[in-house]
Amino acid sequence: MNTVEELKQLIHDKFEIDVATLKTEAPLADYGLDSLSLAELLFTVEDHFNIDFPDNRQDVNTLGGLAELVDELRVTSAA
Amino acid sequence: MKRRVAITGIGLVSPHGDAPDAVFAALLGGRSAITRWEQGDIAPAVVARAPFDAARWFSRLQLAGVDRVSQFAVAAAELARSDAGIDALDETSGVYLGTGMGGAAAMEEAYRSQYASGRVPPLTIPAFMPNAAAAHIAMRARLHGPVLTYSIACASAAVALAEAAKAIACGEIDCALAGGSEALLQPNVLRAWQAMQTLAAPASDDPSRSCRPFSADRTGLVLGEGAAVLLLESYDAATARGARIYAEFAGSGMSCDATHLTKPDAAGQVRALRAALRASGLAPADVGYCNAHGTATRIGDPVECDALGQVWREALPGLAVSSTKSMHGHLLGAAGALEAAITVLALHRRAVPPNMHCDQPDPGCKVALVLETGCAAPQLQAAISNSFAFGGTNAVLAFRRAS
Repeated sequence: MNTVEELKQLIHDKFEIDVATLKTEAPLADYGLDSLSLAELLFTVEDHFNIDFPDNRQDVNTLGGLAELVDELRVTSAA
Repeated sequence: MKRRVAITGIGLVSPHGDAPDAVFAALLGGRSAITRWEQGDIAPAVVARAPFDAARWFSRLQLAGVDRVSQFAVAAAELARSDAGIDALDETSGVYLGTGMGGAAAMEEAYRSQYASGRVPPLTIPAFMPNAAAAHIAMRARLHGPVLTYSIACASAAVALAEAAKAIACGEIDCALAGGSEALLQPNVLRAWQAMQTLAAPASDDPSRSCRPFSADRTGLVLGEGAAVLLLESYDAATARGARIYAEFAGSGMSCDATHLTKPDAAGQVRALRAALRASGLAPADVGYCNAHGTATRIGDPVECDALGQVWREALPGLAVSSTKSMHGHLLGAAGALEAAITVLALHRRAVPPNMHCDQPDPGCKVALVLETGCAAPQLQAAISNSFAFGGTNAVLAFRRAS
């Protein structure tokens, strides 16, 4: 499973949002995520992938953006 | 000009369920909702859990950072509004909510997570903060009036109700959702209460009989959880819209012992009782029922009876007294609201719930306890509800039958 698919599954498990409706490039806010639920999602994503997001997370607006960041951090932590 | 205040909606998330009529019927019949605590490795304990399905009120996404205490509060507020026959409240309405601890589950999880993995969930603070529950009610109902939280231990909800009624009486607002919420049945919270040695020993033969207010063999209080919210509005407005009026909020009295942080004081309670009678224009003989604070501690119960005796004097035999905590436990910051709801229903239905599990009343508790179930009170015109808090704050609410 690629990172985007894995994230879709996580979002589904956590917030019961239908996986089929989640689009890679759509803003996460379109699915009803606000700053608080996004913070909770990022905490879960950190746990799941065993990574630490940097303090500056403003670039995480879409699922695709989040997946890119996760992949980047996984490479860094594996190096 | 002081306006009269009506209670037109009752919303409950209680150990006996969320339907006011069914809750009152269960209490009138003497049914206890107290059961053994089954979670976690702690000394034997009994509690009163509220059956609650969060999915009825929140999507999973909406639940992010919303503690159980806020979930209860939102549900009770929605139920109160709907019970009052109002589709949408005027946006100037207020929210007056009591809570003792706030988001206890969020704090418990934060410590658990910190010690397990060194990480604390990011929404711990917004979930825990004691005013979150009132804020969630306001956001759900889109209310822009005063949205206030009262944290005065066991008197929190009674004070919240008193303040809401005053705001309506003086014309500051026309309508309020007022009450309390508490959800602190967490292993470490129970341990803290056990450490204070105030909790009842589980009754070995029948755990549901563990809370025995005013009984010679009482051993302490039983913690409960839940929320109760009343919809208060100006009496004239309620009459004009043809609302069902459960009762009139007649007045309230408050005082502080200022003697000891946890030990109750009859003189302080007397001041609150007299203030409530004065504010409501009632004489002791007018009041036929008292929903007692009656937590079933060794020290507290006789002090309350002493205070009632000092104020009611020769009218004391005419005051039926019961502590319904014997059946629903002590909801702390929500207790005053659940018990106010029960008192209001007693007036509305003209029946008084029993003081259960009191086979042998303590000789030091010389009040007219309601010892029978299903007790009708055809003459009942007015009733009070007592809430006496750690910290010494005493709150007494007085209600009059709707005219």
